[in-house]
Amino acid sequence: MIVPDSLVFAIDDDASVRKGLTRLLRSARYQTEAFNSASDFLLRPPHPGPSCVIVDVRMPGVTGIELQEALIQRRREEQLIFITGHGNISMCAKAMKAGAVDFLPKPFRNEDLLQCVGRALNRSAEQRRRNAEKTSVRLLLDALTPREFEVMQLVITGMLNKQIAAELGTAEKTVKVHRGRVMQKLRVTSVAELVRLVERACVAPATRAARETKV
Amino acid sequence: MSWITILWSMNAAACLTLAAIYLLVWSKHREDWEHLLFSCTAISVAVIAGFELAVMRSDTTQQFGTLLRWAHVPLWALIVSLVWFVRFRLRAGRTWLAWSVCALRSLALFLNFLLQPNLNYRQITNLQQFSWWGEKVSVAVGVPNPWTLIGYLGLLLLLVFLIDATVAAWRRGDRRQALIVGGGAIFFVAMGWAQSSLVIWGVIRTPFLISFCYLGIVVAMAYELSSGVLRAAQIAGQLRSSEADLRATEQRMDLAASAAGLGMWVWDIVRNETWLTDHCRALFGFAPSEVVNIEKFLAKVHPDDREMISHEVEKSLDGLGDYGAEFRVLNGDGTIRWIDGRGRVEFNGDGKPVRIHGVSLDITNRKLGEGALRESEIRFRTMANTAPVMIWMSGTDKLCTFFNTGWLDFTGRTFAQELGNGWTEGVHRDDLDRSLEVYVNSFDVRQPFTMEYRLRRSDGEYRWLLDTGTPRFASDGAFLGYVGSCIDISERKLAELDAQRHRTELAHLSRVALMGEMSASIAHELNQPLAGIVSNAGAGQRFIDRGDVDLRELRALLVDISADGRRAGEVVRGIRRMLKKGETLRQLVDLNDVVTNVAHMIGPDALLHSCKVSTSLKPNLLPVEADPIQIQQVLINLVVNGFDAMRDIPVQNRKILMETEHRGNELIGVSIRDYGVGIPDEARERLFEPFFTTKREGLGMGLAIVRSIVEAHHGTIAAENAADGGARFHFTLPVAH
Repeated sequence: MIVPDSLVFAIDDDASVRKGLTRLLRSARYQTEAFNSASDFLLRPPHPGPSCVIVDVRMPGVTGIELQEALIQRRREEQLIFITGHGNISMCAKAMKAGAVDFLPKPFRNEDLLQCVGRALNRSAEQRRRNAEKTSVRLLLDALTPREFEVMQLVITGMLNKQIAAELGTAEKTVKVHRGRVMQKLRVTSVAELVRLVERACVAPATRAARETKV
Repeated sequence: MSWITILWSMNAAACLTLAAIYLLVWSKHREDWEHLLFSCTAISVAVIAGFELAVMRSDTTQQFGTLLRWAHVPLWALIVSLVWFVRFRLRAGRTWLAWSVCALRSLALFLNFLLQPNLNYRQITNLQQFSWWGEKVSVAVGVPNPWTLIGYLGLLLLLVFLIDATVAAWRRGDRRQALIVGGGAIFFVAMGWAQSSLVIWGVIRTPFLISFCYLGIVVAMAYELSSGVLRAAQIAGQLRSSEADLRATEQRMDLAASAAGLGMWVWDIVRNETWLTDHCRALFGFAPSEVVNIEKFLAKVHPDDREMISHEVEKSLDGLGDYGAEFRVLNGDGTIRWIDGRGRVEFNGDGKPVRIHGVSLDITNRKLGEGALRESEIRFRTMANTAPVMIWMSGTDKLCTFFNTGWLDFTGRTFAQELGNGWTEGVHRDDLDRSLEVYVNSFDVRQPFTMEYRLRRSDGEYRWLLDTGTPRFASDGAFLGYVGSCIDISERKLAELDAQRHRTELAHLSRVALMGEMSASIAHELNQPLAGIVSNAGAGQRFIDRGDVDLRELRALLVDISADGRRAGEVVRGIRRMLKKGETLRQLVDLNDVVTNVAHMIGPDALLHSCKVSTSLKPNLLPVEADPIQIQQVLINLVVNGFDAMRDIPVQNRKILMETEHRGNELIGVSIRDYGVGIPDEARERLFEPFFTTKREGLGMGLAIVRSIVEAHHGTIAAENAADGGARFHFTLPVAH
């Protein structure tokens, strides 16, 4: 099952590899674009749909690793699959830590590569979906006042209104009002719902430590 | 003065004159005894004439007897001298008769003085005086002495001797001589005898007239002698006229002889006098008028040759052949002149050497040339045969004409066996064609050559020889052939081969090690096409599985697969070449190609080391003769060293520059420059030494092998620190001709 709107990029300075890769991907019905250098690829506008980049680690000019760094810097969502004629462990570890899907030594098994591509595209699609969600939650969260945000952070830790009031040094009745506004603004009806939403936006619950630091 | 006095005086005077003349002649030619004998005869006659005159005028018997007695003395002298005159002049007459005559007359003379008054008279009784030709003359009257018969017998014997001698001369053919000397002597002796006997015996009454008889003999003898003198005068006249011719001839001969360098000479042995032509005098350094004898001649000869010459002269004087000697003459200026002297001895009738006629020739030039030639020949042979090398020579026809003892001892073959092309039999089969090619090619262009080949030693072992040949030319530039020398280089050759094997081994090991260092590049090189193959093949399978196979696509895919396969094969072959052990293959190489190739090969490792490798190549580089794999090894080694040197340098500064350039017309320079830490001072000295390393894991063989490879290519290598950081290694290789 091909991820819809997906596009696979192949970057290798070696024509043999480039041609082989392109054909293989096409035989697996992937939309494919090939570049002989990373800099050429970077000149191309980012693909809006799920995409992955198969790139040779070592190339003249911009290397695969450098490309990875560049993409991360630009918060690009392309998933990277590294291929290499002769890799070493440190390079592999560095790439994987930075979020590469896989690190395949040439000559790779075709199934391995295609599986990787599938996984990468899925991950890309997932990433895109989660990013979209996070963006929407963020938009909701941005509507909260700072006091409401503080209250929300304490609510998701499971504190009662009285406890929150004590924490913030305010009246229980005030906390209750803030809490109602938070629920209303974030369009949730239960605390459980709120927790899930906030989690998706990667907002950490306030801890005592965090609080104290803040103070 | 009476007629008698006049006549007798004239008689004596004539005799004395003749005697004086021939005495003078004799004094000039002492060997002519006849002249002395004649003088004696004539003087005797003159004395006898004197006695006769005195006897005629004697007044007493006493006086007469004494005078007559003394008259026997000149008579004796006359007879003795006459006998020997005849004997010598006619070269005839029995010697015993001559001696007998002398003996008998001596006896008569002895008796004459023993007897009184003399031999002729026993007693003189009276003197008869009578007038004769207007003069008063005395004649003895007495008794004849019977002993006088002894005197007669002597005279008789004299006559016999004279007749015998005359007959012998007549028969021999000297008739004129026999008639005048012999006949005259016989006639006048007989007449004198007869007249004196008749007077003594008193038969006739005249004074003694024997002086006139003997005068006849003297005249006959004088005539005979004077005919000799006349003939001599005649000959002298002829000689004078022919002498002019002779002198002219002599001058011509001297001229011709001088032109031929011949000096002519005659050595009169008896008188020890020499006659030399002017040229001959010049040869020996004698003044034109200098009197030369054998001693003066020997004084001119080199002291070392004097004995030899004396020996040669004596030999020829002894009749043992002609004289001939080559000897040195000392010139006044201390130089030496070589003379070839030859002569023939002339012997007289008795076999005694009289003179030597000879010629002398200046042979200095020949001798010096000969000496120099012989000396250089001897020197060459001595040197050739004692030199610890093997020497050969060949003529213009390429055939060998000489082998020294060293060669013959080495091969254990004979001179005759090796001559011509015989020597090639000992050359190793594998080397023969190559060696002959070198020999013949060099020979045709008259160029010196060196070649190495194996030659069989006498023990059957083949030894490596280094043979160096040079063309020989005469002083006028004419080609004479070749001369060459060989030395046994087996030990060196083996060591060389050993060293070469070691070097090859080391170079191989080092390449294997280098392969390890280049593993990234190698893996990369090999995996690229493999990845292509695998991908293409997978794609193909999938297209087929999908069922919508595009055949054109499939074909292109297969073309790519086979191209990638070939590419992979090429890589493997390259690796195999690098790892291959064994002989290096020299060929004409463009160093630019090698540098480009290495820059490409090393690319993946350069990436791995985050290092930029760039090249700066001189266009149209002249080729070098080299093994490209080994030069590649040198470059890779130096580049990999550069990577190591830049390990701790910021990534953006890591770069290596490879450059090629011409160094003059004869050298190609290649430099590899990095921007690393540079060469530590303490390391620079020992950089190229084996087992010296600054790396923690290094073997220390890399640069040692690099150097050995460069040097095996007749190149040099050096290292230095660049002014703006990093190290520069540069090596040069000679341009191939």
